[in-house]
Amino acid sequence: MAPEPPLLSMSGITKSFPGVRALDGVDLDVQAGEVHCLLGQNGAGKSTLIKVLAGAHQPDTGTIRWRGEEVTLRSPIAAMRLGIATIYQELDLVEHLSVAENVHLGHEPTAAGFVVRGKAAKASTAALLKRLGHPEVDPGRLVGDLSAAQQQIVSMARALSHDVRLIVMDEPSAALDPDEVDHLFRIVADLTADGVAVVYISHRLEEIRRIGDRVTVLKDGRAVARGLPAESTPTRDVVALMTGRNVEYVFPERPTAPPAAEPVLSVRGLARHGEFAPLDLEVRPGEIVGLAGLVGSGRSEILETVYGARKASAGQVLVDGRPLRPGSVRAAVRAGLGLAPEERKAQALLMLESVTRNVSVSAMSRFSRGGWIDRGAELGAARKATRELSLRPDNPSVPVRTLSGGNQQKAVLARWLLRGCRVLLLDEPTRGVDVGARAELYAVIRRLADEGLAVLLVSSEVPEVLGLADRVLVLREGRVVHEAPARELDEPRVLDLVMEGSPAS
Amino acid sequence: MTKLTSRRGLLFGAAAVSAGAVLTGCTSNDPDDGDDKAAADTQPAADDKPGKPVTIGYAGPQADHGWLNAVNDQAKKRAEKYSEITMEITEGSNDTAQQIGQIETLINKKVDVLVILPADGKALTQVGLKAMRAGIPVINLDRIFNSPQAYRCWVGGDNYGMGLNAAHYIGEKLKDKPNAKVIELAGIDNLELTQQRTQGFDDGLKNYPNIKKVARQAAEFTVESGQSKMAQLLQAQSDFDALWNHDDDQGVGALRAIEQAGRDDFLMVGGAGALSAFQAIKADSGVLKATVLYPPTMAASAIDLARALGQGKGVSGLAEFEIPSTVTCYSAVVDKDNVDQYMSTGFK
Amino acid sequence: MTQHVSPPRDGTGKAAPLDGPPAWRVRLGRADVRTLTLLGVLAVLVLIGGITQPDSFLDTHNLQLVLTQASVIGVVTVGMTFVIVSGGIDLSVGAIVALSSVWATTVATQEYGFAGILFTAIVVGVGCGLVNGLLISFGGMVPFIATLAMLASARGLALQITDGRTQVVTVPSVLDLAERDSYVLGIPPLVLVFAAVTVVGWLVLNRTTFGRRTVAVGGNAEAARLAGIDVRRQRLYLYLLSGLCCGIAAFLLIALAGSGQNTNGNLYELDAIAAAIIGGTLLTGGRGHIIGSVLGVLIFTTITNIFALNNLQTDVQQIAKGAIIVAAVLVQRRTASTH
Repeated sequence: MAPEPPLLSMSGITKSFPGVRALDGVDLDVQAGEVHCLLGQNGAGKSTLIKVLAGAHQPDTGTIRWRGEEVTLRSPIAAMRLGIATIYQELDLVEHLSVAENVHLGHEPTAAGFVVRGKAAKASTAALLKRLGHPEVDPGRLVGDLSAAQQQIVSMARALSHDVRLIVMDEPSAALDPDEVDHLFRIVADLTADGVAVVYISHRLEEIRRIGDRVTVLKDGRAVARGLPAESTPTRDVVALMTGRNVEYVFPERPTAPPAAEPVLSVRGLARHGEFAPLDLEVRPGEIVGLAGLVGSGRSEILETVYGARKASAGQVLVDGRPLRPGSVRAAVRAGLGLAPEERKAQALLMLESVTRNVSVSAMSRFSRGGWIDRGAELGAARKATRELSLRPDNPSVPVRTLSGGNQQKAVLARWLLRGCRVLLLDEPTRGVDVGARAELYAVIRRLADEGLAVLLVSSEVPEVLGLADRVLVLREGRVVHEAPARELDEPRVLDLVMEGSPAS
Repeated sequence: MTKLTSRRGLLFGAAAVSAGAVLTGCTSNDPDDGDDKAAADTQPAADDKPGKPVTIGYAGPQADHGWLNAVNDQAKKRAEKYSEITMEITEGSNDTAQQIGQIETLINKKVDVLVILPADGKALTQVGLKAMRAGIPVINLDRIFNSPQAYRCWVGGDNYGMGLNAAHYIGEKLKDKPNAKVIELAGIDNLELTQQRTQGFDDGLKNYPNIKKVARQAAEFTVESGQSKMAQLLQAQSDFDALWNHDDDQGVGALRAIEQAGRDDFLMVGGAGALSAFQAIKADSGVLKATVLYPPTMAASAIDLARALGQGKGVSGLAEFEIPSTVTCYSAVVDKDNVDQYMSTGFK
Repeated sequence: MTQHVSPPRDGTGKAAPLDGPPAWRVRLGRADVRTLTLLGVLAVLVLIGGITQPDSFLDTHNLQLVLTQASVIGVVTVGMTFVIVSGGIDLSVGAIVALSSVWATTVATQEYGFAGILFTAIVVGVGCGLVNGLLISFGGMVPFIATLAMLASARGLALQITDGRTQVVTVPSVLDLAERDSYVLGIPPLVLVFAAVTVVGWLVLNRTTFGRRTVAVGGNAEAARLAGIDVRRQRLYLYLLSGLCCGIAAFLLIALAGSGQNTNGNLYELDAIAAAIIGGTLLTGGRGHIIGSVLGVLIFTTITNIFALNNLQTDVQQIAKGAIIVAAVLVQRRTASTH
């Protein structure tokens, strides 16, 4: 590497939100002219990190150096002035404005300080588009009329309209077809040849191998590996870093005899167009079944479809042999299903409410008569359920938003415990949960199974699925590629299965 | 929303104002009608005999208030009286653009005369000008256009006169009482007509130094607001001698508040000329002793003027060969003595 | 590669540090702080009224008057509070009050006397609420649009029924409700109805499963759905409830004004929303207070009363009303952010 200081050097970046530590001492170095890839599962902290870099979030602690000098990125404008541009996954373009207007939004070329010089804007936009190899995009067209790929080009032109030294691209290939991706890579190569640095975020390992120089892997808000050579690091090592553990957990003991009871949950030929292929699975009382797979393998979609939150295009879900009304969460809940969804705050919790009310919301009929709530009974039941899960603090009257991630998850589990549900669907149960609190959560889940609950578990962390589940279904691109008892599988085998077909390492 | 309200307010404003004395020789309600007919002998003045056929285009706003209903009725009934008149009546609309379109259609049909009660006088000025330029004379009813070029003749009520006459009536009743107090329940405050009525009332009271206006509150030409504001006024003023209420519709609410408060120690004068007010005046059982008119019969007069215009005649009773360019209807005071005569013009 | 991997952490990591509210505030509760603030505002107003107009303001009749004037809009505001708590909005309340009051006072309806008027007012209100609810829950319309459409249609229908005429009520038993002879222990029957609606509204919101579901739907509709709540049906019921309140309010207004008119309930939607907001109900849903809303209504009514008693004109009243809304919301934002 060049002897001069790196273009960008972030060190010890920490950022907490109520209930979760999104970044926990992250370091990141980016050299001028390199493509630095940022890898990590959903929720690993990538988006928080790039928002810090874009000036949209202020870090709690840590320092950012730009060309060796310490800087504070107080706002997106401050970041932009330094030459840092961010192209978000959700393109932040104004659909009802023209290409040129979008490119120059906020720094329009003006006469007398306020009269927008439309022609000058169009001319410079055309020049930028040409530089990006897309002279066919008309600067006068409305952005809303463009294709996704063209919109991305506009976003990039906007970044380049500033004197940009570093471009952050958040999953730029997600909305593109292969030709367009090739083109994108050419643009990236041109940019780096000019000395511009690119921070490239993607789930697609093969892309990273093609254009990346170095790789930083984030997991649970920490950089578990920094500056790995993108070309030579074996894919399996990268995946292991993303999905693996850096702490060996003690997973709870499995019961000695496999459960013999009839399955409480049966899924037959369940499918959703474009998301996952027909799927069969069974879960017995006392059993934990795990679904392992990478992002995009359809794991969350399967869980939500079983729960009726998404409507299946084929197949059925049976509880105790009786089919559920498709697409009805209420039918699923009534039949005894309960879901702890992936996005706890957005999908499960009433953040303004107390723990009690969050726990009781699905079982209000238990302590109400004629719609009238017996609040004493409610509090008692909530207290009993949260104590059973050792939820801290031991006071169900506190607002749920003041709880840590692990305890928020316990509140969700307590909800279903109180409801008396018989099948628990867990989507990423330890997402955003502090490492220290995970073992406890695993013990809780196993205990619930031992008490007779059927558990269907989805996790992006292979060791978690292997350590917790009795039986594992491995998913790849919406298909079950393997099914086996967990004790017959190990991490390398599962990694091979989830990546089968990816370029060999 | 504000816009809706203010427009609604405007309608009520016009409505509020009610029936009065009408141009001599123009309406059959006028007691002097019969006497004046003979006066026209040397000039071609309009009379009841059938003349040259005339097509009158009539465009009014949506009749969302009793007064406007009465206006439309007056116009229609008046036209039916004359066999040679054909009426082209548009569907009432409060939408300025729609009304403009309707009037343009009437212009294209080449009606002989237009009678227009605009939803908004200012906004419809242009279409008035257009009609005039197309050679179709316009009778502008009540809400006045911006430019005198947009109409041949304006017929409307006298808001200032309403206030003035109300003040005179009250003044005469109280002139012997030292330190008399009056209160005023006004209409929607941001309408010019409300300001004019208040100005007329204040100017009229200046003739009576013994009378002082002690309170004024503005209601919204609605029963609900009349009740509410009157209730507060009654609470604020435990002792006063007379009340002038700008509008008989809100007066229904005001009377309700007076009844609820059990007050009968003052006299009340209304405004507009609603049938319910006439009936109460006739019965003489409550505080309402009189009301000042803003006459809906002005629409009948407008038809007569349009007919005269279409036939190239003047108005009987006046010396000119042409009809006047403005006609301001008198805001007569209706009390127990003359109420019977006006009863048929009262609107519901 | 090992040197790039950060050292493993021990398993004792603790929960992220969290800023809790100060202890006294937890004990008192945010709701109580807000209620006290509103009571404080009301107390200041009473003080102003008492100083400027000691005779006419501090007087039983005036108290009766203020409470009576607050009753009609107050009942509407209770229903509106429920809708806002659920994350919705009902712009049609004023128009529904107008339509109910007009339909219930036609000559034909009045023939059926007290019961006919009451029944019609409530059925029309609930019917309009049902249409709102169906459009929003099952027609997938945004509440703002659906209720805006209802506003226009209901006002139009009210106009069509009346032709702009004032329909005077001639049923004595209805008129008696708003007259002094029928006061119960000095309390006007209208105020009793208002109080009853408030108490029932408070109980329903805070003590029943219906209220809980309302809060859940407004706080996080997706979470409520995944928790097994029938969000669509709940929304339907809420607009029904708002319509019911409008029907009751229309009946009260008929008794108070002694008539039905298509202009009744003018801008009630804005007054009700404003009262709910200064009462601490979040416009985004998920939190609402019946008591706060009622205090909001009382504050507005008291301001109007004080201004009228001091013979100040409409323009000044409107300025003051706007200032109060801004001040109340600013104060609440402050207390919320220091929480």
